[in-house]
Amino acid sequence: MTEDQPPLDPAESLRIIQRERAATVRRIMPDPRLLLWPWGVAWLLGFTVFFLRYGPDDRVYVAMPRWLPSVVLLALMFAAGLISGIVGARASRQVTGLTARQGTMYGLTWAFAFSGMITVLSRLGDQLPDGLANLIWAGSLTGLTGALHMAGGAVWNDRSMFFLGAFLSVVNAVGVILGPGWHALVVAVLGGGGMLVAGLVSWLRMPR
Amino acid sequence: MSDALPELDPVIHAQARLRVVSSLSTLREGDSISFPRLQDILRMTAGNLSVHLRKLEDAGYVEVVKTHQGRTPATLVHLTRRGRLAFDDYTAALQALLTPRTDPPSGAAKPPRTEEPT
Repeated sequence: MTEDQPPLDPAESLRIIQRERAATVRRIMPDPRLLLWPWGVAWLLGFTVFFLRYGPDDRVYVAMPRWLPSVVLLALMFAAGLISGIVGARASRQVTGLTARQGTMYGLTWAFAFSGMITVLSRLGDQLPDGLANLIWAGSLTGLTGALHMAGGAVWNDRSMFFLGAFLSVVNAVGVILGPGWHALVVAVLGGGGMLVAGLVSWLRMPR
Repeated sequence: MSDALPELDPVIHAQARLRVVSSLSTLREGDSISFPRLQDILRMTAGNLSVHLRKLEDAGYVEVVKTHQGRTPATLVHLTRRGRLAFDDYTAALQALLTPRTDPPSGAAKPPRTEEPT
């Protein structure tokens, strides 16, 4: 490599700058597909299973044990949380300083918010009939996810993350208003689908 | 617009150092990158990167901090405020060189679009 030589001309200098900046950003930023697609898949599959077992007006489209949908959904969400947590932690290992600290605090916010909400819902859910209990569980956690995405958009100054959060919040509210069964369908298709699309859009918008 | 052509900063205007500074310019203020990570991104040998970092350090553009992360020693690199300024000036100078000089003053008001260094 011609190490100490000046670049041939200003245009080449600009090309070097752009190429090096894009290469660096792509290496130190977490891949948005790895952050969002696991969640998109978890919601799409998990809530579809819910819809098939707990349809509108207590309809059962596919017969399965009553505990199975929750187990499937929680397992998928656990896997998604693990993947995005590892991806986020790996990204913050590349660069130390303010961004890494923000990342740690933001990650902990998710963990604490979900633990707290799950604690409340566990106490509440037992007292309610299946349909309503599912709606309260899914509605609260989806709403929390929407709010945390909006907050994340504010923290990282990331518009697509903010809009995804706003979209999830609206989809969730619409689903809750439509009622048990419909909520699962709406969140599976629009929520899960929205996350898959958001991951793709954020990835396409990375500098290259 | 009628000024003489801008001088290009000789410290940055060398391919290897331009690459180093460009890469470091993507970090936010308050962030540092580890030496091996930077070396990996730039695909330079350790010795080569050290030489260029020293020149940038001598110019006050880069700060190299040796520290410990847990028990393992770590070398962290970041642009100084002065280095960031020098990079911005360098980029502006390049753009001035590339802007056609025959442009009327009003036409020169809008520089070519680039990524904003944050």
